[in-house]
Amino acid sequence: MEQVLATTLRSAAPLVLVAMAGVFAFRAGIFHLGLEGLMITGAFTTVAVGDATGSVELGILAAIGVCMALSAVYWWVIGPLGANVIIAGLGLTSIGLGGTAFALGAIFDIRGSMFTDVVLPRPVRGATSGPGVIISEHSILVWITPLIVLVAWIVLRRSRFGLRLAAVGEYPFAARSAGVNPSIVRLQALLISGALCALGGAELSVGALRNFTENMTNGRGFIAFVAVIFGAWHPIGAALAGLFFGLADAIGIQSQINITERVPREFVLMIPFVLTIFAVWLGGLWRRRTLEAEAGYAELREPDY
Amino acid sequence: MTGGLQRVASTVLLVVVSFLLTALILWVSGYRVGTVLSGIIQGSITATGAATSTIRWTIPLLLIGLGVVIGFRAGFFNIGGQGQFYVGACSALVVSLGWREGPVPLVIMCGMIAAILAGMAWSLLPGYLRVQFGTDEVLTTLMMSFIGALVLQYLTAGPLRNPSGTGQTAASERIPEAFRITDSSGVSVTALLLVGGVAVLVWLLLERTRFGLTMTLVGRNPTMARWQGIDVRRVGLGTFALSGALSGLAGAVELYGPGARLVTGFSPEVGFTAVVVALVGMLSVWGTVVAAVFFGGLQSAILFLPIVTDLPPPALVLLHGMVAFLVTIKFRAVRRRRTGPAAKPVAG
Repeated sequence: MEQVLATTLRSAAPLVLVAMAGVFAFRAGIFHLGLEGLMITGAFTTVAVGDATGSVELGILAAIGVCMALSAVYWWVIGPLGANVIIAGLGLTSIGLGGTAFALGAIFDIRGSMFTDVVLPRPVRGATSGPGVIISEHSILVWITPLIVLVAWIVLRRSRFGLRLAAVGEYPFAARSAGVNPSIVRLQALLISGALCALGGAELSVGALRNFTENMTNGRGFIAFVAVIFGAWHPIGAALAGLFFGLADAIGIQSQINITERVPREFVLMIPFVLTIFAVWLGGLWRRRTLEAEAGYAELREPDY
Repeated sequence: MTGGLQRVASTVLLVVVSFLLTALILWVSGYRVGTVLSGIIQGSITATGAATSTIRWTIPLLLIGLGVVIGFRAGFFNIGGQGQFYVGACSALVVSLGWREGPVPLVIMCGMIAAILAGMAWSLLPGYLRVQFGTDEVLTTLMMSFIGALVLQYLTAGPLRNPSGTGQTAASERIPEAFRITDSSGVSVTALLLVGGVAVLVWLLLERTRFGLTMTLVGRNPTMARWQGIDVRRVGLGTFALSGALSGLAGAVELYGPGARLVTGFSPEVGFTAVVVALVGMLSVWGTVVAAVFFGGLQSAILFLPIVTDLPPPALVLLHGMVAFLVTIKFRAVRRRRTGPAAKPVAG
């Protein structure tokens, strides 16, 4: 039981971090399907730079920089250049997945998996039994994640930027009337989003593990996006959804170990996707809410600048 | 079509830019772009078996890509081709393994029909939610795609697993050789006639039938279409069904053609590449044919490239991503549909 809860936290942390990235993008009216690509880029950059410099902090800083730069390019393509948000996002994901696997081969001459000595500090460790197991052996990023969720919530709820973001996402027309440039606000949201994706990727590669593997995100970016929808694009809601998917993942892993009562793992893994279809469907039933969120999204598709 | 030439020019330009950017990345990484280029030409056209291999990869890309084209025509964004492809292949496999002794043409027919129905089902659920409740089909088709991949994984690792199989990835049993419509090269007259026939039928449907016209009208302006007395829901469901049917059929062709058995996560990029193919083909049937051959050639070349250069195969995924990232630039008419009431002041 303790082991399941510990695994839940470990699986959920990267999901929650990337879900926060998704919340910022979604609030700005951007259906960000590039999260997966940014996440794996973050994971790779952390390992590559961290390994080269021997410093995990530098690795994470570099990852944040690279992901923010990619986010800025994404903004440029979908904003001023008017590309389709969904397709460019999926393209960004492919660029991330393909680019990191390619770079692994081109820079390090490795196929598949690369191990590293750099690792994030783990504040609490050593517990082998009892409730201590739940909080033991987690990287510092797992500990910081709740804080990030809290800050995200405060920023979205209480800050001037949060209000602008809400205006741009829900009613760009009003935002523009109030003298806010939606395009700039979208850029800011995407930059924050990129940085959070980098953290999520870093937690995956040097937090929970000590390696980078091709395609190691394995759909987590999409699941995080799903958590955003499932959590009604609220930071706390999305974080809870991320925790829930972490739990589903942990149960899946556990049921693999205890083969005796075998629920096929695939069916456990399907849960998030099936639930999401329900969530999106129900969200569609709350008509008003969806339309508000989609207004900003719709505007991105209309030629207006 | 007004501005047709301009569209072709801008698409070609964007594809060329994507290629140049990828070439730049390769060059910076220290690969000889010339060698890679000559490898691509050899691997897709001139080397022994290369042209066949190009056609082999063109077939699934074309079928799924045409499904995407149909969806876009009515303004729907079916990005779940991968899952529909998988469940199609799975259904055909179940039929073929369950009825090994049956008369060959009948089993193949039944397998293909099962695949088409499965693909339809996989696409109709999002379609129904879309037309009935306005649920965003991008998300639901994507989710159904993940679920389809898990269904394949479950079947190949569980009930249909080849017990004597070795190797790391789970694979199903092989279907009897008699059921295959091609050899392992994946190309035969039957397969080509089938795919060519499907392409012609899709063209006829879209450009020469009443239903095709109503689809186009719904895609251009659903409100106007409703005023003209078109049953938008019915057209929507029909579009989703056809779109899924083509992806399902692609799965069956893959199984009866080059596959003969299913491996967990086979052809993982096909669904997404097909979306790129449809967009590069400018959402027209013949454009999609050309784009499918082009991307089929690239797919074939990437399998050949290790012979002439040590370029890692993921470079192809990078290239596809680059094309997808850029190809829709200023490409607007696609999803004009979902302009909710709240967004109207913006347009005005």
